[in-house]
Amino acid sequence: MEIIRNVGRHKLRSFLTISGIVIGVLALTTMGALAENFNALIDGGVKYFGGSIQVGPPDGQAANLLPMSKIDEIKKVGGVEAAFPGYQFAAKPGGAIVVSFGIPDTIVAGDPDENNYSALKVTYAQGRPASASSHGEVALGSPIAHEFNKKVGDTIDLPVRPADAKPDFVNHSFTVVGVLNETKTAPDSFAYINIADGQMLLRDSLPASLQSSIDVTQITEGISVYGKPGSSLSNLDKIADRINSQVTGVKATKPSDLVNGFKSGGAIFTAITTAAALLALIIGGLSVVNTMFMSVAERVREIGLKKAVGATTFNVMGEFLLEATLIGLIGGLIGYGLGVLIVVARNTLFAPADGSTLFLITPALTIFAIGFATVLGAVAGVLPAWRAARLDPVIALRNE
Amino acid sequence: MANVRLIELTKHYKRGSEIIRALDGVTLDIERGEFVAVVGRSGSGKTTLLDLLGLLLKPTAGSLFIDDIDTSQLGDRQRAQMRARRVGFVFQEYNLLSGMNVLENVMLPLRYVKDGKASGKQRALELIERVGLTDRIKHRTTELSGGQMQRVAIARSMVNQPSLILLDEPTGAVDTETAQQLVDLLKRLNSEDQVTIVLVTHDLDLAGQARRQIKLKDGKVLTDEWLPEKELLPA
Repeated sequence: MEIIRNVGRHKLRSFLTISGIVIGVLALTTMGALAENFNALIDGGVKYFGGSIQVGPPDGQAANLLPMSKIDEIKKVGGVEAAFPGYQFAAKPGGAIVVSFGIPDTIVAGDPDENNYSALKVTYAQGRPASASSHGEVALGSPIAHEFNKKVGDTIDLPVRPADAKPDFVNHSFTVVGVLNETKTAPDSFAYINIADGQMLLRDSLPASLQSSIDVTQITEGISVYGKPGSSLSNLDKIADRINSQVTGVKATKPSDLVNGFKSGGAIFTAITTAAALLALIIGGLSVVNTMFMSVAERVREIGLKKAVGATTFNVMGEFLLEATLIGLIGGLIGYGLGVLIVVARNTLFAPADGSTLFLITPALTIFAIGFATVLGAVAGVLPAWRAARLDPVIALRNE
Repeated sequence: MANVRLIELTKHYKRGSEIIRALDGVTLDIERGEFVAVVGRSGSGKTTLLDLLGLLLKPTAGSLFIDDIDTSQLGDRQRAQMRARRVGFVFQEYNLLSGMNVLENVMLPLRYVKDGKASGKQRALELIERVGLTDRIKHRTTELSGGQMQRVAIARSMVNQPSLILLDEPTGAVDTETAQQLVDLLKRLNSEDQVTIVLVTHDLDLAGQARRQIKLKDGKVLTDEWLPEKELLPA
């Protein structure tokens, strides 16, 4: 009780000191939430690409296409359990290029069976996946469904016609048969269709002069290869090496290369955002140091009295440390609360049209933000508390 | 054995190359329940003696026994525990905590004694009643007069049932009438509780009301005499 009273004794000073912590924790919470959101995206990439081998055309090949026959060749390589063709198209072609922390909306054509092999399994909030045999079905990621306000049974034209579309722009009507649960990573911005529809969109994307001369059923943009379920990264790397040595005209990327790329990108982003926020918080911590030193200077006689009536060095130090810790905790709670408000407002009230989230509050971030502020308060209080505890009671009692 | 025993108690300070002999080989016995006034000019060693008796200072040489415990053998933590359990302080400037009310101030020393708060609150209430401040119990100290503040300080000094109470010019900041009321209160508490009181003062009238008067000069005991007992004024 006395500790709370001491913090409230100099209201303006306490307010300013706590404000310093609040600003720091606010920065830590928002920047941390930004990093957490980015990391969730990265984690999805790590999970997906760490569980499969991506096979594409060899370096130097102009067209990003492979013959479908390569799938059978790859399946014969030792350790390969399954291989699937795949196609990807921009869902909103012609849009302005913007800097984004997410993956742009994409039409992904693939075999629904691939989900059985993928480490990143998608589940459905409504409906089911697009079936391999029917035509014109799509399963939408949760934010895309939200963006276009679609539910199961609705139709959606894909790719979305740009405002400045040329007269020869072609798109097709798809029936929404499923809406995915949110994954916080790539599938959220995907519209899943089957292989046949993917090949139809591939044909649409070719120059008119080539459309009739190329059999799109015999080509794929890329091949996703899977080992046995639970294969380690190093095993998949070895399979990739075997594909490269045994199958001509393709290039298999080692999953570890992709995973390391994702991880280093995530680590740098997290380091930059967290360091900036921690810097702000440490500056706030210095204001706690200053306040506590002033508090000690003003309460010299009080400290002397407490020692005279039996307080030990440990007692006095504990009281000042608790006071500094309380300042840190109050600042942490307020800063975190404000940070969450901003994050929630951005993710809901001011959400972008594509429904994507920019921030992600996680339990780890919550504990870190409030915990760090509290510990910072305690650490900031150590020197002033030590000075208080070491005061000579004889001198302190007669301090003017 | 005496309540307080000083054997060749010495405290020297260094000021540059000069050695200040603040207390120089003082030997005394103070029995339980005595009311002792320590007088002397400024620099005679009164305050140093009080600080040594209160275990706020460590002697340069000699021994100090309180309740048969040789305090010279104690570490800082044990000295703090001795202060909490066996010694009460009253200062000229009251040294009350302005953020606390009367009861909280009186209970302050209980904080530093194990289980002190649980058993001490009733005693604090009784002491506040004995010093005549029951109607001020929830008042902040800033709302009290000088005399009332010193009564709070006296109650605080007794809350842990110490065997020794040390007073440093306790009437120095109040008027004559209030000073006399405080002295009467101290005499009554001394008589009723058999607590040993050692007060340091410049005021010879106040010192004259003690049972024993010790005069210091240059850090040594100049005189140590018993005074005739005076009748306690009614409360």
